[in-house]
Amino acid sequence: MLTMYFNLVVNGIVLGLVIGLAALALTLVYAVARFPNAATGDMITVGAYAGIGVQVLGSRNTLLQGSAAIAACTILSMAYYWFVFRYLRGRGMVALLLTSIGLALFTRGILSFFAGHEQFVFQIPLVEPYVIYGVIIQASDLWLAVVALLSVVATFAILFLTPIGRRMRAVADNRDLARASGIRAESVMIPLWGIVGAVSAIAGIILGIKTVVMPETGWLLLLPSFTAMILGGLGSPIGAVLAGIALGVAQEVASPFVGFTYKIAVSFLVLLVLLIVRPQGLFGSLEEVR
Amino acid sequence: MLSYLLAILIIVGVYTLLTQCLNLHYGFMGLINFGVVGFFAIGAYTSALIAIAGYPILLGVLGAIVLASLSAWPLGVLATRLREDYLAIVTLGFAEVVRIVVTSESWLTNGVQGLPGIPQPFSSLGPNAQGLAFLGIVLACNLAVLALIMRLAHGPFGRLVEAIRDDEVAASALGKYPTGPRIQIFMIGAGIAGLAGALYGHYISYIVPDQFVPIVTFYVWMAMIMGGVGSLPGSFIGAAILIGLFEGTRFIDDAFPGSIGVEMASLRLVFIGLALVLFMRFRPQGIMGTRMQS
Repeated sequence: MLTMYFNLVVNGIVLGLVIGLAALALTLVYAVARFPNAATGDMITVGAYAGIGVQVLGSRNTLLQGSAAIAACTILSMAYYWFVFRYLRGRGMVALLLTSIGLALFTRGILSFFAGHEQFVFQIPLVEPYVIYGVIIQASDLWLAVVALLSVVATFAILFLTPIGRRMRAVADNRDLARASGIRAESVMIPLWGIVGAVSAIAGIILGIKTVVMPETGWLLLLPSFTAMILGGLGSPIGAVLAGIALGVAQEVASPFVGFTYKIAVSFLVLLVLLIVRPQGLFGSLEEVR
Repeated sequence: MLSYLLAILIIVGVYTLLTQCLNLHYGFMGLINFGVVGFFAIGAYTSALIAIAGYPILLGVLGAIVLASLSAWPLGVLATRLREDYLAIVTLGFAEVVRIVVTSESWLTNGVQGLPGIPQPFSSLGPNAQGLAFLGIVLACNLAVLALIMRLAHGPFGRLVEAIRDDEVAASALGKYPTGPRIQIFMIGAGIAGLAGALYGHYISYIVPDQFVPIVTFYVWMAMIMGGVGSLPGSFIGAAILIGLFEGTRFIDDAFPGSIGVEMASLRLVFIGLALVLFMRFRPQGIMGTRMQS
């Protein structure tokens, strides 16, 4: 009985890392552009489909699939900024949010037009799972968790250890002050949207391997990711990842009690309680929240 | 041909009601409601279930309005405490939870199979006369809602709402607290969406959870933006353009028989998405609106 919960926790950690990556992509955009980017979910779907595309072309190499996903999403994400969001600066949150929803629908429409509505699965080799005191750990889960953690570490390394990362944080913190110090906001936007795309791509591949790939894959991840972003404190990258993992574990552990279909409702419940009790999130940021 | 025209006009009427709901929420009060379809679904299911159980249709419709309004109450309370983008996320989540509930609770809603055989009013009349009578009902509902919103907007309550919307702090300083009006507007709007859902269910006579996906909410946003935010005649024009475009894609269906159903659904997504992006970029005030709040 107890081992079942441990198994759910293990599963929850991997899915939580996916939520965490999605929340990281959301929170990075929020930090510099001040809107919840609803196009993130479908960007994740694009990543998953790029991997499936490589598989359909005949390669089962996960590394190759991942690279294709990262390339596709990075380019798409930068294109979103360059062709759309760049022109909407200073137009208010509603305009940006509605535009991101428009992009989300547009992207999903194009994807499902060409790829259809049937489900795809990643064909990964079956490996004997590790069994530790009855807790089953799939080798693939272990690898996926490592990849997710590495991409989080890489993102943080860029944000906190490189000059461009310092400039990004400066713009996120105070756009005018950054400008006064000679940092042009536009010069950090393209690399930032590129990182957002790459992070989404990795989330998409991991989610695709863990579950199935269909046009709604990423959209359904959006609500837990928004919740994780707010739970972690808006604009806080570390908070987003930790909150994502916590939420993933909570969803999985709750599923035997509430049933599989209500899993997504768990994050809604967490969101409501959170907004009532502590709207600034667990790692409350400087931002005024009301 | 007449029955086809009647069907289109009735659906336009239903969408006009939904657009009026959103115009009340967003255009009038500035509440970002991304969960319109949730109230629509609650209305449709409530009225259908009451009517299927054998009670009069009118009772079902009233039940739909009341239940949709009541379901908006906790969200309205939250709306008074939250920043606008949080409210958007919460209402989006609310609509998803409503859809999950009607999908999962099969004992009540028959799950994914949906509810067939919802009683239709005027079924003793011929098909055309029935459609005409139904259209009359939809029109009457729209006019009643229009009158209600006009009354709200131009009375003391309307001035209070505008004061709160434009400067909450100043209004509070004058002793006008925003909490009450926000909750009331949220509940009234949700009731309008519930009414739209009830009419829709009784007209189509068959509802399934798949009719209440989040995209419907954004169809309504699209209709409101095209018609012009805050413009009540715009609600009708936006809804008419939206349905006209949908029916137009149906003719593409007939012209290219290979591209049926699924591909059409994808193309609608592409179209709505692109239209939303382009409108926000180039004409946020809509086709005939004058003002866009930010």
